[in-house]
Amino acid sequence: MASRKLLLGLLLPATLVTAFVGLTPMFALLNYAVQTPFEIQTSFVGLNHFRHLFHDYRFTDAVLRSVIFAAIALAIEIPLGLGLAYLLRKPGIINSVITALIALPTLFPPVTIGMMWLLMARRNGPLGMMMNFILGGSFDPFKNATHAWGTIILMDVWHWTGLTFLVSLAAISGMDESYIISARTEGATRWQIFKYAEFPQLVFPLTFISLLRLIDALKIFDEVYILTGGGPGLSTEFITQYIRTVGLEQWVIGYASAMSLVFLFIVILLSWLMLMVLTGGRGLIE
Amino acid sequence: MAKTNRKVLLQALKIIFLLLVCIVFILPIYFTLSVSISSKARINEGAIVPDFYPGHWLEITKGYWKSGIINSVVVSLACMVIALALSITAAYAFVRFRFMADKHLFFWFLTNRMAPPVVFSIPYLMIWKGMGIWDTYQGLILAYMVFEIPITIWILASFIASIPREIDEAALIDGYGFSGLFFKFILPLIKPAIGVAMFFAWLFAWTDMFFASVLTSVVAKTLPAQLLTALGKVGWGVEYGPAAAAGFVTLIPGIALLYWVRRYIVKGFTFGRL
Repeated sequence: MASRKLLLGLLLPATLVTAFVGLTPMFALLNYAVQTPFEIQTSFVGLNHFRHLFHDYRFTDAVLRSVIFAAIALAIEIPLGLGLAYLLRKPGIINSVITALIALPTLFPPVTIGMMWLLMARRNGPLGMMMNFILGGSFDPFKNATHAWGTIILMDVWHWTGLTFLVSLAAISGMDESYIISARTEGATRWQIFKYAEFPQLVFPLTFISLLRLIDALKIFDEVYILTGGGPGLSTEFITQYIRTVGLEQWVIGYASAMSLVFLFIVILLSWLMLMVLTGGRGLIE
Repeated sequence: MAKTNRKVLLQALKIIFLLLVCIVFILPIYFTLSVSISSKARINEGAIVPDFYPGHWLEITKGYWKSGIINSVVVSLACMVIALALSITAAYAFVRFRFMADKHLFFWFLTNRMAPPVVFSIPYLMIWKGMGIWDTYQGLILAYMVFEIPITIWILASFIASIPREIDEAALIDGYGFSGLFFKFILPLIKPAIGVAMFFAWLFAWTDMFFASVLTSVVAKTLPAQLLTALGKVGWGVEYGPAAAAGFVTLIPGIALLYWVRRYIVKGFTFGRL
């Protein structure tokens, strides 16, 4: 019985605070999502907001854009991180300096990263000058949607490759060497060794980091908001920005809450998948 | 002969590629610093090479930039201490006790970490205003707890799990009470984890812009939110100089930290990222 009291004492403070900051907003969102709250005429609308979501092209487009963005970012960052980890896996002063350099941007505030790439991509910034030189002066990420997307992808690769790289590095150094040695003695080529002896050992950490990056890529806001503000037009407006615009700028709280709940549901589903992969389906604590 | 040639070529390609990677990763950091120490005229010309104009750095030591820096430091340090104090006992409980729905409770903690800030921001704004803690330190710190408690619990729990249970039992048999066991045995053993957890708790509050921009306006406005305000004036002639200087201030802790932990980089970094 004493241990029951002890357990309660250990768990309660964190649980109470997290319950307050984690659950109250959920109930509030559920409450807002079926009404038109904070408007001149507050009324109960049931599931109308949710029905409306499917006909709101700005919403479906923003979701689609977020998914496409996440897919492109992952397709570049995962192989690049893995490749860099292979290049830099041997210990040594030069390799650790480069490792630190690639890891550095993961510690920077996203808003600052947006500003850095805004400076870079301006007509007089290094990126702007270089791209203008290549494209003959027509580079303008603030007017051309393709250029805006290119800049955003480059910014995200710069920001997050460090993470996929570090996870890959940890995974590579944790590989069981015996498979690789026996593959080598059997006369396998470098590619065969990677494909049959190394890659199977890396699948698990790579799946984990892919899911983590996927969730984070869907949540991207600060950098893009600073760099393009969703423009030109709506061409880089992601789901987070649309929710923010509707909820916190146009003050349509009910509809924004419905969108938030749908978005949250998607993210929680992905997190659950990630944890299952991470723990091999056992759940986190034994 | 052909084989050695190929090897030399591959080696050269590798060096060129890595050199390119270094340039790409340094350039934005260098350029931000360069813009922050260039006069306005030089910034308009490009500011690839700075003219060492000190005005922007002097400007951010005054007025709203200064209060932004102070608020950021206060809030992130407070978050670090509070998040750690709340979660260290909970992490221990999750590892050492079995209780009803323990796995579900743990997963629920972590889902809060994964949830997008935008989802919380609308209800927080309404509730915080109702409670009268909007635009205050305590309001902002409370909001950050939704992400920080899960991160710190996760980091600490995975370390505590690696401590053999026999240590707990031996300490209890030797007549230490629970607090003796906790402070004399567990805490010293998880010192590195406490460092990592404190760092990530601090980092979240230091880098966040979303909550800060929604939940504060003047009194408790942090540096990232201040940066958003400064850069949001598109069309009004954004002052890039002071923004670059303030932006560089937000980078300094990361750069300093990397220097200190350069030896443990892989282990320490991959941990707190869930």
